[in-house]
Amino acid sequence: MSLIWQLLRKHISIFELAIFFIANLIGMTVILAGVQIYSDLQPMLSGEKSLIGNDYLIITRPVERMGIGTPTFSDEDINDLNEQPFTINLGTFTASRFEVDGSIVFNGQRLSTMLFFESVPDNFIDVKSDKWCFSPGDTVIPIILPRNYLNLYNFGFSQTQQLPQITEDIIKRVELGIRLEGNGKRSDHTAYIVGFSERLNTILVPSTFMDWANSEYGEGEDDGHTRLILEVSNPTDPELTAYLEEHGYEIENKPAESSKALSILEVGAAVIVGIGVMFSILSLIILTLSIYLLLQKNITKLENLVLIGYSPARVAMPYNVMALVLNISVLIISIVAIFIVQSIYTGHISEWLGITLSAIPTTAIIVGTLFTAAIVTFNIFIINRKIREISSRR
Amino acid sequence: MKEIKLHNVVPEIFASRVDLRSDIWNREVILERGKRYLIKAASGTGKSSLCSFLYGQRGDYSGTISFDDRDINRLSSSEWCEVRQRSISILFQDLKLFGELTAMQNVEIKNNITHHRDMAQVVQWFEELGIGDKLNTRIDRMSYGQQQRVALIRALCQPFDFLLLDEPISHLDDANSDIMRDIILREAERCGAALIATSIGKHMNIEYDICLNL
Repeated sequence: MSLIWQLLRKHISIFELAIFFIANLIGMTVILAGVQIYSDLQPMLSGEKSLIGNDYLIITRPVERMGIGTPTFSDEDINDLNEQPFTINLGTFTASRFEVDGSIVFNGQRLSTMLFFESVPDNFIDVKSDKWCFSPGDTVIPIILPRNYLNLYNFGFSQTQQLPQITEDIIKRVELGIRLEGNGKRSDHTAYIVGFSERLNTILVPSTFMDWANSEYGEGEDDGHTRLILEVSNPTDPELTAYLEEHGYEIENKPAESSKALSILEVGAAVIVGIGVMFSILSLIILTLSIYLLLQKNITKLENLVLIGYSPARVAMPYNVMALVLNISVLIISIVAIFIVQSIYTGHISEWLGITLSAIPTTAIIVGTLFTAAIVTFNIFIINRKIREISSRR
Repeated sequence: MKEIKLHNVVPEIFASRVDLRSDIWNREVILERGKRYLIKAASGTGKSSLCSFLYGQRGDYSGTISFDDRDINRLSSSEWCEVRQRSISILFQDLKLFGELTAMQNVEIKNNITHHRDMAQVVQWFEELGIGDKLNTRIDRMSYGQQQRVALIRALCQPFDFLLLDEPISHLDDANSDIMRDIILREAERCGAALIATSIGKHMNIEYDICLNL
């Protein structure tokens, strides 16, 4: 042990340092937990990979009276909506204007039913499949079904009818017969289901197929768009709600509570981090006072060391090292704590959502290191300032 | 450092005194390397103040003190650090030893920054000064006279051009005072340094080149 440390450690109050240590540890751990949880959950509630979120709204006009003719959106309506600040992207649904007859052969028996198709631009579709393409002349048509059709069958119908449940893979291998009829023409095609959409509650075909089929078999005039799909950044935007109300539009798929959840997460994280910062500031005040008191108690020794030729920096060194060791210990312990906390909640999240999160609290490590660097810099600054002050007193 | 120049230096507390009769205060004084000075003073005439001014410990004076024509008020803290490690050594009147360290540790704490002496030499001085058995005794358990000798050894653990001795033998008997004188003269000779000793009566038996009344 160096002589200078032997001299200067006198009057170090273990009690004060312990209070600083505990307060800073709590503060740091709370801050890091806040930022880590936020950084882990935030991507799930926003952005393209939104897991719970749904930033796509399907807009319709209400059916006002019984009769022929469904309410549709005019080009003007669409242009107006397109110009609104909340609109990121706007797509239209195109409905089939021909008869569709779908059939499957089951146990040697042919079962058939009338169907209808709709299409939307590809960038609104949440299913990625390399089979999702069609060019005129192709005989095979790819189809996307709403996921709730499959759920309805598996968890409702099949159970009551003692029928086997079917998986996505099985259903994707089933060949469907499709007969298109209209405009005095008729043709037979094969279709496969290529995926299930969470977002779009309709039987989807590629828009290239729809355009071709409508021009070949379509009857009657194109009577406008009955449904629109709108991409927004915040489905609970009050401006959006007001606009829809004013124009009497309805939202078919009520937005999931994702953006509310996101704001709750943001507020929650801010509150947690705020509490952590308060703890840290308090602990920093305690440490600052403790260091000032310590330097004051050792002032004669500090002065004498400078008088016998020690530089202020050399005299400050033991206290700087002490601040460094204290703060780095706090950082290490709090990161270990975050590591444990994270492993607990990622376990739950994996169970609920079936996704895996990184097992390393990267955000906490980065934020913690920066925070510690800032605190250590501050500590060293006040220690050195005080010692320079003592040594230059004349 | 070759010389220390005092130009019209007056401690602030004497500023209003008109009857100031001194060889140093309010005069032009040059202290040169290699010479031996005795500064005689009655108590209360500012003897320790002079040492404090020369050592940069206090600045409450008017006039100018310069080291080789450099005003010491302009020295930075790192330059003072250099001066105190290489150019001026001092035996403080109040010694400024660290009570909770042993005699040897008090010397080591100085030698650790200068690396000027080997420990064998230090131990030899302890022996010569009759405190060879006190190496590992805590300073606050030693008599003032013993502490004075430890402080001298510490002061010798650095190269110097000027050795300031503020009442160095106030608590020593004649025999110890002579041993101390021999060591001081030997080391001052070796460094070619100046001796500046203050005294309020009892002083080391040295042939001083210049005697100044404060």
